This record gives sequence, C-alpha cells and structure tokens, in this order.
Amino acid sequence: MHHVVLERWSRGSSFVHRRDARAKILALLAFLAVVATTSRSFEWLAGFYLLLLLAAVISARLPVAGALRRAAVVLPFSLTFAAISWLSGEPRHAALLVGKSYLSALAALLLVSTTPLPQLLRGLDTLGIPGFLLMVAQFLYRYLFVIVEQGRRMRLAGLCRGGLKRRSGGFRAAAGALGVLFARSYDRAECIHRSMVSRGFQGHFQLLSSARFGFADAAFVCVAAGLPLAASLAARFRG
Amino acid sequence: MHIPDGFLSPPVWATLDLTAVPAAGYMVRRAQREFEEKKVPLLGVMGAFVFAAQMINFPVGGATSGHLVGSALLSFTLGPAAASVVMIAILAIQSLVFQDGGILALGANIFNMAIVGVIAGYLPFHLWGAGRGRKAAIFMGGVFSVLVAALLAVSELLISGIAMSGTVLGVSFGLFAVSALLEGAITLAVFQALESLNPHFIKQPNADRGFALGLTALAAVSLAVVGVLFASTHPDGLEKLAETLGIATRAKPLLASPLADYEAGFLPSAWLRKAGAGLTGLGLIYGACALLGRVVGRRRSA
Repeated sequence: MHHVVLERWSRGSSFVHRRDARAKILALLAFLAVVATTSRSFEWLAGFYLLLLLAAVISARLPVAGALRRAAVVLPFSLTFAAISWLSGEPRHAALLVGKSYLSALAALLLVSTTPLPQLLRGLDTLGIPGFLLMVAQFLYRYLFVIVEQGRRMRLAGLCRGGLKRRSGGFRAAAGALGVLFARSYDRAECIHRSMVSRGFQGHFQLLSSARFGFADAAFVCVAAGLPLAASLAARFRG
Repeated sequence: MHIPDGFLSPPVWATLDLTAVPAAGYMVRRAQREFEEKKVPLLGVMGAFVFAAQMINFPVGGATSGHLVGSALLSFTLGPAAASVVMIAILAIQSLVFQDGGILALGANIFNMAIVGVIAGYLPFHLWGAGRGRKAAIFMGGVFSVLVAALLAVSELLISGIAMSGTVLGVSFGLFAVSALLEGAITLAVFQALESLNPHFIKQPNADRGFALGLTALAAVSLAVVGVLFASTHPDGLEKLAETLGIATRAKPLLASPLADYEAGFLPSAWLRKAGAGLTGLGLIYGACALLGRVVGRRRSA
C-alpha cells in the first residue's frame, strides 16, 4: 500500500527530519496561512513558494518526483472545481484554486514525510490537542493497515464465492460481510487492550526519545515562516 | 467530500476552525466521560474499520456501487460523542497521512462531518430509535449524516466565493441525494446484520421520544442548513443589498471628502458583509447545536 512509502520517508535522517515536530507544525501552519491569504500577483509568489518547498524537499533528501506525484492526489478534486469556476467565467479563480490546493498539499506532505506519526502526535499533544483524541488517532493509524487488509481479504473471499453481485442478493451479502468485519474489529480491540494491559500499558504511549525545542528549531520556524510571509508582504506593498 | 486547503476563503476557514475547536473539545470530554480508558483501543480500531469498510462495495444496479461512509452507524454503536471523536481522528489521519482534505480546512471538515454530520445522523435514532419507526429512523440517520455534511460543505464553498452555476448546483444536489439515500440503505442493512450477530453492539436509546419535540429539533437543524444554503446560493439578494448600501456609503464620503478612494472603500465593505452573513449563519448553527447538545446531555443524565 502506498502509505508504506510515507513511513519509509519519515524515518530518514536530515536537517529537516531532525527538527522538533512542533517547529515543523508551526512552520506548516504559517506557510499555509500565507498561501491562503495570497491573492495579488499569485503567479510570481506561487513560483517562489514552490521553490521554497522544493528546497525543503531536497534538503530532506526526499525523492522530488515522488513527492510532487504524491501531492498531486489533491488535483482531481481541485481540477473539477477549477473547471466549474472556469466555465462560470472566472479563469483566474480557477488557477488560484489549483495552485493553492497543490502548494498546500505539498507543504502538508513535507511535514508528514519528515516526521514519524508518533512524534507528530506527541508534538500536537504538547501544542494543546486533547490526549484522548490523539490516542484514538494513534490506535487508528496502528490498526488501519491490519483492518483494511482484513476487509480486502473478505472482499476477495466474497468474490471467490461469486457473491457481491446484485443478482444474488449482493446488497445483503455485503451488509453481512461488513457486520462480520465490525464484529471481528470489535473482538480485536478487546484482545489488543487485554494484551497491552498485561504488558504494563499505563494509558499513554511512551516515546523513546524526548523532544526538545532548540535554537535550530526556532531558526527553522523563523526561516520557513518568514520567507513566504516576507515575499507575500513585499508583493502586497509593491502591487 | 473533503475540502482541501486553498478552497475556503480565510474568514470562512478561520471561523470554522474556531468553531470546531470548542465543539471537538466538548465531544472529546463527553466521550472520555462515557468511555473509560479501556475503550480507547476500541475507538481507534473502529476508526480503522470505517476505513476498511471502503473495501466492501455495495452493488446498486448496473455497474455502479457504493460504500459505507459510516458516521451514522458509528453513532448508533458507540454513541454520538464517541462517534464524533472517531470521525475527528479519521479526518485528521486522512488529511495528514493521505492528503485527503486540507489542514487549515480541517476545522471545516470536522464541523461538517464529525460534529454536525454525526449529530444530524444520530438525531432520528435518538428520537425514534426505540419505537415503531425504528427502521425509518436508522435509514433517515444515514441519509441525514451525508446530506447535511454535503450541504454544509457546498454552502461553505459558495460563501468562499467559488462560482457554481445553477446546473452545476442542481447536478451536485442530485448526486448528494443519491449518495445520501444509498448511505441510508447501507446503514440500515449493516445495522440489521450487526443486530442479528450480537444485539449488544447497538447502544439503545432510552425510550420513545415525543413526536413533537423530535419534529421541532429536526426542523430546526434542517432550517439552519437550508437557511445558510439559501443565503449562499442567492448572492444576488445579498449583492443587491450590498450595492444599495454601498451606494449609500459611497454617497457620504463623496460629500465629505472628494478624494476618498471609494473603490477600495467599497470592496472591503462588501467582502465584510458577505463574511458577516456567513459568520452569522454559522454562529446560528453552532448555537442550535450547542443548545441541542445541552438538552440531549441533560436528558441523558436525568
């Protein structure tokens, strides 16, 4: 599955990988806000933002083509709306939609492909997101691949038996399959909990390394948030 | 429908982020109170189940098929607060890991699908889930959870100034209606399968609620949604108002200071008016939801 790529990318080591998760989250939010509020001379600024992101991608030693391709998952949605906007006689707005959504997706991809998810969630925790919610997200991510794989196997099994077609009451068969998948997931959750408790689970996850917000992290935030902001302000006052 | 970044205008996403934070916090606190720490793995694994449910296609006829969206089904099995928490976690993972939905737009997506969508999906079951109209309530829950979220998303896009012609809107409303009905049918079918497997999977609502109360609550929610939608699909009225008001404000500075840059003076005011209308509508919905949550909470604890 394609998310395995992300797991591999996020465990690399580079200047960007080593930055504290909080620094990267703050930088991402600032970057996204600047992109979202840019509208004047977007053509030039978009090029500049893209160069910044590419510089970050290269310094994080990520494959450039792969990153650009992964960020393109947003394009089907934004191209549809761009077409709608274009047909309503607003070609500039259409270009803005595509440009902004692609740049934002690439920036978000940069965060998750340089930060392992446990560290990212820990960073969000120290930034004030409720721990309960983050625990749920953590469990969701850990068992996502297990349960999805189970769902895929069940579909295969159904197809082998010639089911899941309309003629043979496929709708009810699919509902039954989902019900079974639900029950199995429920059982699995109880198993997981029992085995975690028996291994000394205290109600929160332990991280092996403690995070520290150092000088390099502060400098990273300043550069990553300051450059696009400065460019955007310059364009605004010049225009 | 996950809104990516770059689609919503800054006032819209900022408002929705600010709205989603306390609403999500409330849901998390409620879920934490209902579920002891033991159930945290359960909520996470149920989120994974909703992802996996996309693997199983429901044949509809012809070559088309649909799959479960799941927020209504989650609220029937885990309760609305826990379902909301699971949906928030799903949306967060989708936007972070799969780039499906934006980061700044996460508040909007959470508000549409995990807060209002879940409440709208749970409401019929809460009101009539124990009585004679049980099947209809489950079906309606599935329909509402998708329809309300989709209508909210479209209104937010319209308020953000994305131009959509009447035919586009008509086609998309048709698609929403079809997928909402499909979600209702799938929810009902899976619900029945679950109940025959193990009735304890379902969190039964206490008793049959008053018909009048339910109708009023439903009417309030749908009125709020339709109201925002109407306000955003008919910008002509809003624009006309802005124009007349704009002319009025334009006339005054013209008298006071002939050098006033009224082009620039006019634009932000129209923008403000538009944003203001959007914010008021969203505030109204938020108020309705908060009130509803308060009432539901009090009844539960009583």
